[in-house]
Amino acid sequence: MNVWPLRFTDVGRDALLFCDEAGGFFRSDDAFLERYANDILTEADRDFLLAGGHSFEEEGDRHHVGFAARWAKRQFVPGPLEYIILVPTLRCDLACRYCQVSRVNANARGFDWNEATLNAVLALIDSLTSERIKIEFQGGEPLLRLDLLSRVRDFCRRRFRSAEFVVCTNLQKVSEEAWAFLAAADTFVSTSFDGDALTHTRQRTLDPAQTATFLSNLERAMTTLGTGKVSALPTIDPDNPPAPDAIIAGFARLGLRSIYLRPVNYHGFARKRFGQGDQQLWNAYYDRFIDALIAYNAHAAEPMEEFYFTHCLRRIFRAGHHGHVDMRNPNILGADYLVIDHDGTLYPTDEARMMTRIGQMDLSIGSVFGGLDQEKLQILNANSDNNFHEDCGQCVFQPFCGVDVIDDLSRYGRIDLSRHETAFCRRHTALFTRIFELIYTDDAATRRSLAAWLGVPAFDPALAPVHK
Amino acid sequence: MIPLRFRAELPPIEEPLVVRLRDRPTDDFHDDREAALIGIAEGWREYDFNGFSLRIEAEPGQSLDGDVVLAFPGRPIVHRLIRARSHHNTFLVTERCDQLCLMCSQPPKQVHLDLFAQFGQAALLAPVGATIGISGGEPLLFKEQIFALIGNTLSVRPDLRFHVLTNAQHFDSEDGPFLHGRARDRVLWGIPLYAPDAADHDAIVVKDGAFARLFQSVATLAKAGAQIELRTVVTRRNAALLPRLARLIATELPFCTSWALMQLEPIGFGRMNWDTLFHDNSVDFGPVARALNIALARDIDVALYNFPLCTIPEEYRTYAPSTISDWKQKYLETCQGCSLKTRCGGFFEWYDPDRGFARVGLE
Repeated sequence: MNVWPLRFTDVGRDALLFCDEAGGFFRSDDAFLERYANDILTEADRDFLLAGGHSFEEEGDRHHVGFAARWAKRQFVPGPLEYIILVPTLRCDLACRYCQVSRVNANARGFDWNEATLNAVLALIDSLTSERIKIEFQGGEPLLRLDLLSRVRDFCRRRFRSAEFVVCTNLQKVSEEAWAFLAAADTFVSTSFDGDALTHTRQRTLDPAQTATFLSNLERAMTTLGTGKVSALPTIDPDNPPAPDAIIAGFARLGLRSIYLRPVNYHGFARKRFGQGDQQLWNAYYDRFIDALIAYNAHAAEPMEEFYFTHCLRRIFRAGHHGHVDMRNPNILGADYLVIDHDGTLYPTDEARMMTRIGQMDLSIGSVFGGLDQEKLQILNANSDNNFHEDCGQCVFQPFCGVDVIDDLSRYGRIDLSRHETAFCRRHTALFTRIFELIYTDDAATRRSLAAWLGVPAFDPALAPVHK
Repeated sequence: MIPLRFRAELPPIEEPLVVRLRDRPTDDFHDDREAALIGIAEGWREYDFNGFSLRIEAEPGQSLDGDVVLAFPGRPIVHRLIRARSHHNTFLVTERCDQLCLMCSQPPKQVHLDLFAQFGQAALLAPVGATIGISGGEPLLFKEQIFALIGNTLSVRPDLRFHVLTNAQHFDSEDGPFLHGRARDRVLWGIPLYAPDAADHDAIVVKDGAFARLFQSVATLAKAGAQIELRTVVTRRNAALLPRLARLIATELPFCTSWALMQLEPIGFGRMNWDTLFHDNSVDFGPVARALNIALARDIDVALYNFPLCTIPEEYRTYAPSTISDWKQKYLETCQGCSLKTRCGGFFEWYDPDRGFARVGLE
């Protein structure tokens, strides 16, 4: 029998977590590790490893084929370009504390697409090979240019078999024309709601009356557009976060079931000042938030989730779960999604756009007028996987994790730091550690939440294999 | 029950006849393959087939427009091979089989009537975008003919799909090119797997080595990127094994397209062995629930086939689509006025309530 390489880590209480390269995992102990390391496996060890997909008898047998298929499914292979983030204007009618770079004042000039840019954007969209498209309108505040949104949407509806549109709006000033635009079946709303009115005022509107306007618009969106068409994301300042219970209650009251917590995204000097210190603070807050969710779900008729936690949990159990661009491996840039800025410049991600804008590093990858800069993309993508990285190669979480070259560049100006020194690694090590802790927690409330987050009726104990 | 054959008066034929019935001639009407309705009198419909008369006795409400029927010389019957308004059209290509599954709904017979030519003609007349089922017996005892039937049909009618039920005892690595070609995206291979180990699976299908041979076949299918539907009939013989089977599928067959957990059909051996095989999930849903939870969590697209909705707990009903074919489906007296009836598959025509589920009907 051949055992696939097993990585392991100490998870406390005399337990070790083992994981193979296809993401098959189990808990065991030091005694098993001794037997594994010294190649003196018992009959029971062998049976367990074979049934769990961690070994095979001979090449091409069912164990071998199954492992190969699961390993292959874990690798993200980008499809054709069919998700485009558009910034038709950089102007915004809010001045949120932490939005230092991706906006200009509402009456500024020269920060909107002109006719030539619009036409070049449409020409680029027209050149796509996919039969479907997803357009996300970002800003600035995209509703300031409803005319541009309409023209893009009309074009895409004609051009593609299926088209979907997301408007990322602050829902601050929504005209009746805008409400009519958002009411279309193919159009969705994504907004920011920092959890409660006080925090939202402090961080965003600076004016309780403005916050009241926003909240009434959000409620109108929920009731007239429908809960399935609206998502809201809270931005959290780890130095001064709202109580988790308050956020959960605030979202639940609105009928929102998914919360995507985002730490404040500091840039430039602010990141140098806060960048390293805030990670532990954030991890601690995030932990408390997950605890609060589990407590809430224990008694709630409609369970709530933290979007990213759910995503990473599903990546552990599902080899082909690649639906989120922030976490996949390899994380190929400039392939299946793209950002087009207000001046027609192309970026691989929104963060790359911000870094470029503050002059930190030029991460643009071409423009709608001249096409993609393949040479630059190749350089970025040469380091887009974690399979063969010397640090990741030791890590028990590697099959579930990803890479974020842009985040490394943004924080450190380089990508060759030891992984453990990067915020990305620290954040995800903490996250996966927590998830596995929950997977192996034999407690009704925890299992109820895990089931809800996995989208199954109940969490079966067999999903948390243990070998003694 | 929807009739699958009708009394008929045939034109003078010497070979089996395959013909599509039309209520009125269409623009692309084919004289040699289609017959147009010219009159209805006293329950009999008269069709014009190339100048000859074809008469079929059918209830007034039955639509036969677009149906493809088969008739044999000298036998006053037409068989409905394809019903244009149904999603359940299956060619039973042979009654021979090399397994003898304990619960078989269609017990094998030694005789074989070769109708591949007629099935080929019928397939070409199927409605646009239709899925054609191929069943038996074991169809791949005639692998060459089946591959030719599928290949030839798809080369003329790339809009069609096939759903082939096979015991997966006959695929070899040399089948790769066929499986990887046109068939890859158009054929779903429905394969029965009853247990997570050779001893139990082989005992249920009554064939030594079947489990190992199945996996050999499946590896060939997987490498070709073929679409695989695993099918597990739930019985008292394997119910306790289902959680382990779920884990095995997620671990060793993660490339399968879907997994169907199926309630027993009370016909054939299923009827004969009903009392020893029927697992009453209205009383014990535990192992089925566990299998579902394990498979779903690991991204296996699993569904419950032929389970009346009232016999399963509420939170699992969303995984039980209506699957009993229209022509052998029935509802009980209890079902009258049931709020779930429209999305419930009901019961098999030959279901006997006295020997069936202990609990039926919503609370």
